[in-house]
Amino acid sequence: SKEAGKKDNSTRYSLLASLSCSSTNTVVEMQNPSSGVKGAEQKLNVTTIPHVIAGETHTPIRVKVIKQEAQAFATMLVAYGYIYPLQNHKKLVMCNDASLYRFQTPYFWPTQKWVAEDTDYAIYLAKRNIRKKGMLEPYEQAHYNHLHEWLNHKWDFIVMQATEQYKVARERKKPDRVVFDCQERAYWIVNRPPRYTHSAMDYGPDRLIDPSADQVKGQYRHTHTHTHTHTEWRRLRILLEMVKYITNYKNHDPFLAPCLPSNPWQTESDAYWNLNTRRVDVPTKMRVERWSFSLFELLSDLRGRDDFKIFLKKEFSGENLAFWEAAEEMKWGTASSMSTKAEAIFKTFLAPGAPRWINIDGRTMGLTVKGLDHPHRYVLDAAQTHVFMLMKKDTFFRYLKSPVYKDIQKKALNPEPHNFSDSQVEQNARNRGMGIHPIILWQQEEEERAKAAIASAPVDVKAVMSKIDRKK
Amino acid sequence: AANHRTGFYNDGVKHCASSVMGKDECKTMLDALNKVTACYRHLVIALGSTSDSQNLREELKKTRKKAQELAAANRTKLTALLKDKTISKDDRAEYERLWVLFSSSMELLEVDMKRSLEIGQDFPLKVPTRHLIQTGMTGSTTTVAARAMSVQNMKYEADGNIDTADLKDLQAEISQVGQMMEEMEMKVQVAPWAVEARQEAGAELKSNMSVGNSSVGVISICEEDPKDDEGGEREASFASFCAVIVFFVIVMVAAVLGYLVINMS
Repeated sequence: SKEAGKKDNSTRYSLLASLSCSSTNTVVEMQNPSSGVKGAEQKLNVTTIPHVIAGETHTPIRVKVIKQEAQAFATMLVAYGYIYPLQNHKKLVMCNDASLYRFQTPYFWPTQKWVAEDTDYAIYLAKRNIRKKGMLEPYEQAHYNHLHEWLNHKWDFIVMQATEQYKVARERKKPDRVVFDCQERAYWIVNRPPRYTHSAMDYGPDRLIDPSADQVKGQYRHTHTHTHTHTEWRRLRILLEMVKYITNYKNHDPFLAPCLPSNPWQTESDAYWNLNTRRVDVPTKMRVERWSFSLFELLSDLRGRDDFKIFLKKEFSGENLAFWEAAEEMKWGTASSMSTKAEAIFKTFLAPGAPRWINIDGRTMGLTVKGLDHPHRYVLDAAQTHVFMLMKKDTFFRYLKSPVYKDIQKKALNPEPHNFSDSQVEQNARNRGMGIHPIILWQQEEEERAKAAIASAPVDVKAVMSKIDRKK
Repeated sequence: AANHRTGFYNDGVKHCASSVMGKDECKTMLDALNKVTACYRHLVIALGSTSDSQNLREELKKTRKKAQELAAANRTKLTALLKDKTISKDDRAEYERLWVLFSSSMELLEVDMKRSLEIGQDFPLKVPTRHLIQTGMTGSTTTVAARAMSVQNMKYEADGNIDTADLKDLQAEISQVGQMMEEMEMKVQVAPWAVEARQEAGAELKSNMSVGNSSVGVISICEEDPKDDEGGEREASFASFCAVIVFFVIVMVAAVLGYLVINMS
């Protein structure tokens, strides 16, 4: 439900299966000397290498297709590794200018059947190590060290194979050697992308691309490298959040901290339960402290929600919470009541000029109203999340600083821990009552609900005026 | 009893000698298999591109057959060595290391064979509508194949339809290799992850070829690697400069000696 606003980009990455047929056919068609893309020659120092295409020439492909789509399709081919750029080899985008590209050999085409193995990557890195005389790039060095640790049992093989492959490559003529190196490097940039490279073969929890990001925007902005990788920062953040969580909840954990005043199961005294009922007038200090941890905690505890409602009434912004509660009721309610609830909610909260109109952004409002035509349990999810975020970012912090909260913090009880002897425990067991009957609790809830319904019903102006007249 | 004792002693010496020979033999055969695997991979990478040709297909076939012969030989030797229960712990650790080398090579070979079947089927040479990918590679791979077969020059004698006819053989060979690997796993109980490698990180830099080849015209791939090219060219020109100086010195010395000889006589 939190993902309501984000696009579903998982389809982008699962395209490979359907792509493999159509893309490979298209790439082969591009080779057609009459209807395909024309290649030129690339002059590099003293060698000349044929079969280079400029970025602008991608338009001859797919004549049926409009220009922007051709660009997007061509970029996709580059991101998947069917074509690789010769300059800026880490930016896997087809630029609509004279920058040069070349076709990748079929062995290095992306396929789900042949995953780019770590052993092969280790061999490639070892070869690159030889070529660069030990000066690998930082991300490559990081991978190298990692693989040396994890593939240690195969390391002899990796070194042997790398030196041998290096020697074999030297058997070819110079232009072919250059092309071969380019191809291999392009393949590994696609399959083990460095930071800020948007490769379509990037997948898994450690992937560098955020699939919720709308566009591949920032790749031209970032040119500097960081000392920590993206994964390491994420892990650091997660650890810090865990530490914060543990510090907060340490004293509230029923296993780690003793229960005040005493654990009813052990001492047979139900003081703890009585002090923490749903509608107790004065809650305990621990309970009130827990409300300050997050809006979720505050709203989950119904006593806390009541307190929050009092605060909101003072601020005259109770409609957010009312909408949130209405959405919860819809989520948990019966299927038969769905359409009536949807109508009521629409009339009260969403219709233009409604008595308790909530302030959500136009897009969410549009989606929700459209969805209410065919209401189902989760139709209000997007709006509910939005409202929750509004409350969390704004009202919640004001509540924590408000006199309502500070008051209840002062008034809260802090019971002394009991210290019963064994005989006292036995006495407690004998004296223990039955507790409140569930029917009484239910009746109380019904009364509350009726009162709330009357309070939140739109004020009938005529009735009020007539009452005033009558009083006169 | 004395005979009994000497009999044991002789056996021990023979066993030691044969085990040392066995290890060296194994290592040479593994090196050969390693070389052929590397060459085969290089050839498969050229499949489907503009350097693909009838000759390449024939090279693939021959390299593959050689690889299989080496594989079979290695397997028999290693299985025999590992099944021997009387070897010492160090020896066994060494054989297990060789076993891991062998099985890793075979894994690479198997994958490359399967891929060459796939790409070979996708890019038949005689079909005019199926174009080869213009990858920029136009040279032949005959030197690579010659290296794999350990010959000076390759001889090409295959028919015109080798690109399709060979595929059936290839399929049979792939299943053969698969079976062989399964048998290997069954017969020999080796835990590959328990093997400790002899080489440390960066060991490839210490091998003699990295120093030798770097001075002979290091390639600069793109504009982004100008340093390598400069370094290489600088080294190359420095080497040639030294050679020229030495040549002139020798010529001068010869001229001086000749002058002295003429003056003396």
